[in-house]
Amino acid sequence: MPTAVLLDSSLSMTRPVSVEGSEEFQRKNLAVHGLTMLFEHMATNYRLEFTSLVSFSSLWEVLVPFTRDYNTLQEALNNLEDYDKTCLEAALQGVSNIVQQEWGTSCPCQVVLVTDGALGIGRGSLRHSLQTVKQRVEDKKFPLPFPFPSKLYVMCIANAEELQATDSMDNLEQLINLNGGEGQIYTMEGPLCLKSVQSMFGKLIDQAYSPFHAVLRCGNLTSDVQVFPRPEPVTIDEEVDPMPRTVQTEGDEIGTGATDDTEEETSTNQMAGKSPNFCVLLHGSLKVEGMVALVQLGPDWFGMLYSQADSKKKSNLMMSLFEPGSEPLPWLGRISQLGPASDAAENPYGEDDSKSPFPIQPKHKRSYAQNVTVWIKASGLQTDVQKILRNARKLPEKTQTFYKELNRLRKAALAFGFWELLKSMAELLERECTLLSDSAHPDAAFQLSHAAQQLKLASSGDSKYAAYEHNITPMLTDFSGGGGADRI
Amino acid sequence: MRIFSVSHKTAFVVDHCPYMAESSRQLIECDMLTKSRSQGVIPLAPVSKSLWTCAIECSMEYCRILYDVYPTKKLVNYIVSDSEVHILNSWKQENQNTQELMTALAAVGPPNPRQDPECCSVLHGLVAAVESLCKITEYQHESRTTLMDTADRVANRGRIICLTNAKSDTHVRMLEDCVLETIQEQNKRAAGSDRLMPIQQCELVLVHIYPQGEETLVSDRQKKELSSVLSSEVHSVRAGRYLAGKLNVLVQQHFDLASTTITNIPMKEEQHANTSANYDVELLPHTATVLNPFSHETVTLKWCTPRTNSVELHYCTGAYRISPVDVNSRPSSCLTNFLLNGRSVLLEQPRKSGSKVISHMLSSHGGEIFLHVLNSTRSTLEDPPSISEGCGGRVTDYRITDFGEFMRENRLTPFPESMVDAACRTPVERAKFQLERHTRYWPMIISQTTIFNMQAVVPLANLIVKDTLTDEDVLTCQKTVYNLVDMERKSDPLPISTAGSRGKGPKRDEQYRIMWNELETLVKAHVGTSERHQRVLDCISACRSKPPEEEERKKRGRKREDKEDKTEKNGKDTEEKGWTTDSERLKGVMEREKDEQSECEIIKDSPDSPEPLNKKPRLATEEQQPPEKSKGPVSLLTLWTNRITQANSRKHQEFAGRLSSVNSKAELYQHLKEENGCVDLIFYLIVQLYFCMDENSFWDLLSPI
Repeated sequence: MPTAVLLDSSLSMTRPVSVEGSEEFQRKNLAVHGLTMLFEHMATNYRLEFTSLVSFSSLWEVLVPFTRDYNTLQEALNNLEDYDKTCLEAALQGVSNIVQQEWGTSCPCQVVLVTDGALGIGRGSLRHSLQTVKQRVEDKKFPLPFPFPSKLYVMCIANAEELQATDSMDNLEQLINLNGGEGQIYTMEGPLCLKSVQSMFGKLIDQAYSPFHAVLRCGNLTSDVQVFPRPEPVTIDEEVDPMPRTVQTEGDEIGTGATDDTEEETSTNQMAGKSPNFCVLLHGSLKVEGMVALVQLGPDWFGMLYSQADSKKKSNLMMSLFEPGSEPLPWLGRISQLGPASDAAENPYGEDDSKSPFPIQPKHKRSYAQNVTVWIKASGLQTDVQKILRNARKLPEKTQTFYKELNRLRKAALAFGFWELLKSMAELLERECTLLSDSAHPDAAFQLSHAAQQLKLASSGDSKYAAYEHNITPMLTDFSGGGGADRI
Repeated sequence: MRIFSVSHKTAFVVDHCPYMAESSRQLIECDMLTKSRSQGVIPLAPVSKSLWTCAIECSMEYCRILYDVYPTKKLVNYIVSDSEVHILNSWKQENQNTQELMTALAAVGPPNPRQDPECCSVLHGLVAAVESLCKITEYQHESRTTLMDTADRVANRGRIICLTNAKSDTHVRMLEDCVLETIQEQNKRAAGSDRLMPIQQCELVLVHIYPQGEETLVSDRQKKELSSVLSSEVHSVRAGRYLAGKLNVLVQQHFDLASTTITNIPMKEEQHANTSANYDVELLPHTATVLNPFSHETVTLKWCTPRTNSVELHYCTGAYRISPVDVNSRPSSCLTNFLLNGRSVLLEQPRKSGSKVISHMLSSHGGEIFLHVLNSTRSTLEDPPSISEGCGGRVTDYRITDFGEFMRENRLTPFPESMVDAACRTPVERAKFQLERHTRYWPMIISQTTIFNMQAVVPLANLIVKDTLTDEDVLTCQKTVYNLVDMERKSDPLPISTAGSRGKGPKRDEQYRIMWNELETLVKAHVGTSERHQRVLDCISACRSKPPEEEERKKRGRKREDKEDKTEKNGKDTEEKGWTTDSERLKGVMEREKDEQSECEIIKDSPDSPEPLNKKPRLATEEQQPPEKSKGPVSLLTLWTNRITQANSRKHQEFAGRLSSVNSKAELYQHLKEENGCVDLIFYLIVQLYFCMDENSFWDLLSPI
């Protein structure tokens, strides 16, 4: 999950903090100290994550675009400049824009706002923004909630008492509420010093940047793994299932659909590289066989593992999480009903691996996979009538198709209570009968008048002839010679 | 969407009173005469649908779309009302399909215009709909049962869509009041019942249908809260295509669908086979597939002609079912058939800048078409490190092929719902158990194993992991062991890795000792499974070259023999088994040798046999005879095997402990405990692997073409 750091560079950040010791710090120094700690942590534990650094005052500026290069980020921290007043709304809009440009709206992102809690005065102040939040026109909407899944962490280089003395705390809390409650406010405890800023950023790291360790287990074969990005807890149905699902003890996913997570071992020394690891074995075999492995992350929560190669011929083990549930992919059916293929009476994959029990077909076909009759548009009805007439003119060759289409029309007309159509169709068939040429096969006339008569009977609503399941069968004539048909 | 939102239950109430038999006055010409045939023929009068037919058609279309996109958990109860109530189906999932409703509707037939209008009313249907909404669905029941003490979280909400011809606004008000009253009454009743639930929220959607060319007597009204439980809206619509359009809008609103038009679909014309024209097809997927779900305009996605050689991979962030708006139109059925035949289509989002961004993919799985959302922006997964840079990445002799074979043997397949085995395990639990058994001894690299590099061990290795063995299986395992004994006697070389050791590696007898030890480790890991598994181990112990126990015993000296006597008494059962097994084995060996001998004799006697061939069998017989002689009388052999059995019984006792240290079997049981709630995994996730189907089942999820 990418992180956008939004650092307050207004003049108020240069206010000195009172310390007993000899050295004098500005609030800015404390902020830089905290962020350095965060970046160092990420460089070690989260080196695959992208981070961007944005500074703001009345204007905002991207100091470092999204990168995995934590040295560049650190360097930018060391070369900060001081500007004028705090205008948070514009900066939040800026962050919203850069995140959307880079990652779109479906990628979850963490926004870390570092500020002294002096949120500006007058126009452009957070107070002013929040007061007018409901009177916005469409294109000047307040940037929160962010259009992408997000967490907004506010790191205050101030203690709670200081913030509560003004309305800063209230405003910041409103900000989190505007983001759908997604986020948290951190304040410093005790005097403003390096130690308390460390402790505050330590809390953020524990909350949002703890590495995700897991054990990948296949029977007795296991491997310790770390997962990037960290799978976040989700709530599937707030009403029935109000507790968010987390991967640690139960099972978990991010958003809807399948998100992809890299699964990867962190190794620092060569010794580790030389002892066999199950992940490498699994990856190799999945790649060679072109298979995926189903992985269970908690009760009713599944995902899959597969080998993912990039264009540079580097490949790694990837884990995609499915939406939590007992049947995440309809064409696999209920996961709990998947058992060892060797238990089946007959090998479902075939002796030569030519078959597959998947995909599972649904019990009822979807409308587009069956020949449904829809007459909402006149053209639908006309097409069906014409189809019957076309076949009527080619009797007796097209007897089967003629009756198939006739029965389809009959069924739909009966279901829709459209008896008038049955009568009209009967008349059309009778007319076709009179229009038959002398050279026509004698069977054609018999079939046409038989079909017309049957339709008329059905249109009477008489339960004997209007039964839905009943089919009109070809008349058995001396010419047709067909078997199995009703003799009238 | 919450599972038990108002969309969980939809009750359709369709008016079947005599006035619904009235014509919609929308005329349809169905006599389309071709010019050549039209001479002298009077065209047939156009037909027109009744209000009833219009109502049925459009409501069935609503259901068709609903069932296409939500085959489960979104339920319809179809009610027809005249002088009485006809309830055409139930909330049961098995009743949720259009075919069943069509059959039931045919049985009801069109309204009878001659029926006494005084005793007919849509009110009967509305009352029945409220009663029906109180009835618990199987999903509500299941959730309530699983949630137990928090069962009250399961909500009961629903929607009533009433298709009728109302007399006036006052008439509409009367219908609304009736629903409100009935809800109050029914909620009281439901409070005291197990199979009923009070309605917490109900949306009444009244659709007034009137013939074309007439003025409406009922005015449209937006959604209004009539009480804390009931809200109501009124739509006054002309029959025919207006009504169809209205219900199409409603189904989109009610089920969060977003009209999406696929444009520029190239199709060949029947008449002009060598040219192709571009068509558009409108689909209804879930709103989650579009970027701006609040826009009411149709989303346009442009067809990208499939490139067959493309191996591009696309990150898919979600797959959603679709339903075509105009299911029978030619372009629509062309597209759906194309997809049902296994083809996929990439779709691009038109951008103002003119740049091409592929954002979606259409593809079918198991006869259902899904719109896949692809990630069209930068991926956070770009440039991942290679697995070779991580732990174990530098090891080069992984048993990749063997593990591939292992995965294929452990593939999954669906079993019917009722399939639970004697131990009440679900299929997936059985799969887990099988994986556990198959991995009890599974060295990951070639240089760690001897037996898995030997073709001769394969039959035993494949059988011993099985849950149950037949007598025949045991015999096959025993044959494998005898075969190994033969190999040892002949001093056949073994595929022992010399990696890491200096010189030529271990000597031949040392190699065999390593091999036998490994084989024992494998079989011991399964010895607890059944008595037949034990017999395989017994066979190995009896046949292997130098049982370590023998050497140990020499060192320990005679004093310890007293102790062994005690063990002997304890292990009497095993001992007896050992006797029978060994005598059986001996019989087997003798018979086999006899067979071989007779075979040799046949070859010898055959006049056609060339000389060199005769030598080999003779050698074999010579080789087989000395051990026979050295063994002496049977009683001596049994004496010897007796000792082995003693050693075995001693081994059985220490087996569990030994294994736990060697084979991480202890970990296995921990795992089982963890499942029962004892957790040492606060920092660890237990990921259980199942091997499944080939990649193709997921192929489309990852890469389209």
